[in-house]
Amino acid sequence: MKKLLVLMSMMVLSLALVACSGGDEGESADGEKTLKVWAMGEEGKKLKDFVKDFEENNPKITVDVQAIPWGKAHDKLLTAVASGNGPDVLQIGTTWVPEFAEAGAFKDLSEYMDDYESFNKDNFFDGSVSTMKYNDQVVGVPWYVDTRVMYYRTDLLKEAGFDQAPDTWSELKDAAKKLADRGEGQYGIDIDRNDQINPFIFAWQNGYEADLANKDLNFESPEFKEAMEYYVSYFEQGLSQKEKGGDIIQGFKTGKKPIFFSGPWMIDIIQDKAPGIEGKWATAVMPKKESRTSSMGGSNLAVFHNTDKVDASLKFISYMTQVDTQLDWLETSNTLPSRTEAWEDSALKDDPMYETFGKQLEQTKPGIQTEQFERIAQELLATLEKVVVGDADLEKELEKFNKEAQELITED
Amino acid sequence: MNRLSGKPINKYPYLFIAPAVILLVIFFIIPIIIAFGVSFTDMDLKGLANLSNVSFVGLENYTDLFSDEKFLKSIYNTAFYVVIGVPLVIISSLSVALMLNYGSNWLFRTFRGVYYMPSITNIVAIAVIWGYLYNTDYGLLNYILSLISIDKIPWLQEPTIAKISLIILAVWKGIGINMIIFLAALQGIPKSYYEAAEMDGANRIQILFNVTLPLLRYATFFVTVTTLIGWMQFFEEPFVMTDGGPLNGTLSVALFIYKEGFQFSEFGYAAAASFVLFIMIIIVTLVQFKFSKSE
Repeated sequence: MKKLLVLMSMMVLSLALVACSGGDEGESADGEKTLKVWAMGEEGKKLKDFVKDFEENNPKITVDVQAIPWGKAHDKLLTAVASGNGPDVLQIGTTWVPEFAEAGAFKDLSEYMDDYESFNKDNFFDGSVSTMKYNDQVVGVPWYVDTRVMYYRTDLLKEAGFDQAPDTWSELKDAAKKLADRGEGQYGIDIDRNDQINPFIFAWQNGYEADLANKDLNFESPEFKEAMEYYVSYFEQGLSQKEKGGDIIQGFKTGKKPIFFSGPWMIDIIQDKAPGIEGKWATAVMPKKESRTSSMGGSNLAVFHNTDKVDASLKFISYMTQVDTQLDWLETSNTLPSRTEAWEDSALKDDPMYETFGKQLEQTKPGIQTEQFERIAQELLATLEKVVVGDADLEKELEKFNKEAQELITED
Repeated sequence: MNRLSGKPINKYPYLFIAPAVILLVIFFIIPIIIAFGVSFTDMDLKGLANLSNVSFVGLENYTDLFSDEKFLKSIYNTAFYVVIGVPLVIISSLSVALMLNYGSNWLFRTFRGVYYMPSITNIVAIAVIWGYLYNTDYGLLNYILSLISIDKIPWLQEPTIAKISLIILAVWKGIGINMIIFLAALQGIPKSYYEAAEMDGANRIQILFNVTLPLLRYATFFVTVTTLIGWMQFFEEPFVMTDGGPLNGTLSVALFIYKEGFQFSEFGYAAAASFVLFIMIIIVTLVQFKFSKSE
């Protein structure tokens, strides 16, 4: 335990040491600047080469990209916030925005919004726009987006009597039943019980909405309860596998799990790892209840609160959010552009896989915009786990969950 | 020779221990004191960014902890790990050491290496391999069991079984280092004791219980203390294998602290929890010292 104790207090200690740092202005005599950029995961690695074009156009700015693995990103950002020793520009996952905005990690960009036309709110999907703001500050600009859609095996659904993807909740249930009836060890649909956003997607589709202005999460609303019942029913009726079974790619390949929800990254993975089912699968927008809402994910670009290179930072963000740059970036990294205009391009419009995402992105919501979201989502997963695996009563567990979540949100 | 002025203070010993003491103070003592202070505040991410957001909450973190179902569960789980795991590690590493001590040809030397391997293998690699072994659907363990027509065991999906699965993994991983300590101690026992015992007509079992084990007393004590402390801080296995699930069934106190601190950024609360664990470890260790002294 000592290790954790030590780690934790080192972070506090580093606060005291902030005063000693400094001096590193990154600016040489002739006004040349080095812009420090933190990017996460695969994107970080690819961004290093990608910025060469920007550097050519802005000879006075050198971009120093640091790639941070996703697993370490949260800790790294914590340390940056604690020490005040951060980058100039950073990539921030949309779910982390409220948490770090609350801690004051980002510079308020409100006053610069009119200086760069690519920052205009009208450029982005509605689901993204709400991740740009925290309270009345503008804390980031959407860089790339992702959302969940339905992946399904066209051949198996056809055998079950569905020429098209299930279009409504009841059709989905129906299809899942028929698919699960194929025999022992066959499932209808795969629901990842560790995926925090999945229960919320169902809830949103059922018309659920949190009322953050009044600090009311509305987890008691009939819309939310009904959605959770729907979620749980897939496990209770044996349509989805309760235990952590095989890898989803395997399940999809063999047809044991012919339907699942996931993001754009799955396209490449399926093509790579399951070339045998080429042409036998497709993507579709979410089935409809009240709406077809899915989640808005992806990353924004933000400016670290104490940078002294605001202009260069904004220039860089502006460059990254140009339509042309975004289309190039799509080719480099396979992440989806945040600019709606980019979706008019034939590269996206005429590709049936991407087209689904384009349609779905118009009906998205980000996770509930509170710094407690991570905690609330984890609690919800734990609650559902109690019902699915532990055979607890859904109604009672939801009541407990609602109480806890409500306490969390009214605390501050 | 002037006795009245007293001996001049000999500064050399202090100079020699100074580097170690300074490092210890900076990296252990001060952080622990700060963490103790933090445990009485509501330090979170906001507070980390700006100290003026931190307020003193007295004992609230501690009282909250003991009404937190999750924390109590993590204490129960940790006790479960310790009570089953620690004796298991000691007995298995001692048995392995005794067996390996019977000979010293290449076979025994190879197996020394084999048993030590798990201790030096990267935990992430272990997690991947054991994750496959334990998989309910296509794991090797369930496949072997299916050959002798035993039903699928949900290795990591049922709270109690998952705890036992993690214990098996941790024992497998923990044997190596303790085995080395026991082997070293075994080789330090003079041959003359065994010769004397044999001459008195003692059989193998009698020799084991009346000669070997008593002479291994110090090694056993050392292994017990270190293993116990290690197991009370049980962290890596649930962290990489189950993340505390299912139903918090494998959540250990250390993992609870990690999650509160680094996943939810509740540093004050996490610091309080780590102090509770700190105190539990100190108490258990003191009790052990007490017992060993009275012997």
